[in-house]
Amino acid sequence: MKLQAICLAALGLVAAAGAQAQSAGTIIGRLGATNINPKVESGDLSAPSLVHTTIDIKEASQLSGGLTYMVSDNIAIDLPIGLAFKHKVIGTGAIANVGKLADVKSLPITLLGQYRFGAANASLRPFVGAGAVYGRFFGARSTMALTGLTGGTPTTPTTMSMKNAFGAAGQVGLIANLGSRFSAEFSVLKVKLKTTGTLSTGQTIDARLDPVAVHVGVGYSY
Amino acid sequence: MMKMTFKSTWLALAAGLVVVGCGGGGADTTPRSKISAVKVFGDSLADVGTFGGVRATVQGTGIQMYPELVAAAFGTTVCNFYVFTGTTFAANPKAGCTDYAIGGGVINHSNPANPLGIPLQLATAGAAGFSATDLLVIDGGGNDAAALVTAYLGATKDGGAALAALLSTLLPPAQVGAALAGGATTTAAIGGAYMQALADKFYASIKANALDKGAQQVLVLNMPGITNTPRFQMVLNSIGAAAGATARAQSEALFKGWISAFNTQLDAKFAGDSRVAVADFYTAFNDQVAMPAQFGLSNASTPACPIKGLGSDGLPTYDFATCTATALSAAPPTGVSDPNWWKGYAFSDGFHPTPYGHQLVYQLISKSLAIKGWL
Repeated sequence: MKLQAICLAALGLVAAAGAQAQSAGTIIGRLGATNINPKVESGDLSAPSLVHTTIDIKEASQLSGGLTYMVSDNIAIDLPIGLAFKHKVIGTGAIANVGKLADVKSLPITLLGQYRFGAANASLRPFVGAGAVYGRFFGARSTMALTGLTGGTPTTPTTMSMKNAFGAAGQVGLIANLGSRFSAEFSVLKVKLKTTGTLSTGQTIDARLDPVAVHVGVGYSY
Repeated sequence: MMKMTFKSTWLALAAGLVVVGCGGGGADTTPRSKISAVKVFGDSLADVGTFGGVRATVQGTGIQMYPELVAAAFGTTVCNFYVFTGTTFAANPKAGCTDYAIGGGVINHSNPANPLGIPLQLATAGAAGFSATDLLVIDGGGNDAAALVTAYLGATKDGGAALAALLSTLLPPAQVGAALAGGATTTAAIGGAYMQALADKFYASIKANALDKGAQQVLVLNMPGITNTPRFQMVLNSIGAAAGATARAQSEALFKGWISAFNTQLDAKFAGDSRVAVADFYTAFNDQVAMPAQFGLSNASTPACPIKGLGSDGLPTYDFATCTATALSAAPPTGVSDPNWWKGYAFSDGFHPTPYGHQLVYQLISKSLAIKGWL
């Protein structure tokens, strides 16, 4: 949890006297939490494999935050920042019910342009956003179940990697200005993103992840 | 330009923040259940060296049969509990060996004192009781099915004497007599009844000698479709040559039906017992033969080992002792130069898997164990 401190420190770095609310030129630092829920459409694992070996990737929640720069009173650039999400990869299809095959960490590096409706100091500001996500996948740690299913043993374990990928993102959200410099934010982000998993035993699997990220946070305007 | 720099700086920071100290990756090789010993029962598929260390697959350093792979998954090893003395089976003087399987092992042995009978293997291990951290791996029935098919096919020569004798070991002689006298349909049906009774016997033996003796994790391989093996394909081909394709197909369906009768009964007997996982070897083996490429098999019909001669039954014989990895690599089939050619074959001889075939059995077992939450 040292990382959380680093995150907070990072937000603190940008502390400076600035404009009120969310007017042009404001930088808003935000802390909260995000849940990412991949809506996986899995392809079949390539041979050698059981016919129709597929996967699902489970949801994950994590402390998160972000920085928003108000280009104008209505247009914002938003950069979510967060700790990596840890997702369970489980077997489905021909290997349904085998349980966890791996944990994989994801870091959806995201940059969004937003349009915030209403006046800069309006108490409720709905917004829409669009942007790009670079899904970085790392730290995949396979289980003994995956190793056994692919014929490996503890001395020859099977490992997994997932390809980093770009995706397009669309967002809707709502900001509540809480007075003073504080605001609350709720947003839902849908990302279209495809990746390929590769096993050390040579098989590959394509999966459309298309996650939905739900974020709640409290912002502070500098 | 300024803006791009600004963005990429923050992107780098965002990435940097998270990557710092995250680590992870690689493989967790700890199974979900703590298993301290893998205890194995069965036939040649699971015999890791009873017969002077010669195993029913390709010989070679580092080659692992499926029980060895399963044991390795749990960080342990197995060695053969019995040694063949030339005339009988004695306990291996090496202590701590827990693989009781013997090549030629059957569920239904005429002599209950012979450890070729899998029930005696189970009873021998079960006498000492099982620990909660034992994993039992049991295969059996392939040789029983082969015996039934052989007796059935031999009925035209011996008037059904051998078949009647075999059936009567598990079924009432009156029922057997009536069925055999009743014609082809009732004769075929009695085979199914025998296989059901065989499954009952297998179950009763596992129940009494393993489950009732404290075993908490039991993996049972169901009966593989022995008709898929090169040996039985040759038998079926000879039926086809003599009586036509329809007769061949009927015979294959009949034999598969018998095996299915065994497997259905085995599933029914163990249904609802959380201590037991029945791995569907039958379906897996059928799939491998039907779709070899899907399973990484380059050949699922020809034995990799060289034919040594012809047996009294007119079928090829093989010599496992000389069928080594080195010998196979040195003698690829005509037109092939890859020394690893045999590694994608399913069969070593006419009836037994290659090391890769063993790996596929291990993978099947792994799936069943993972579903149970044990691996």
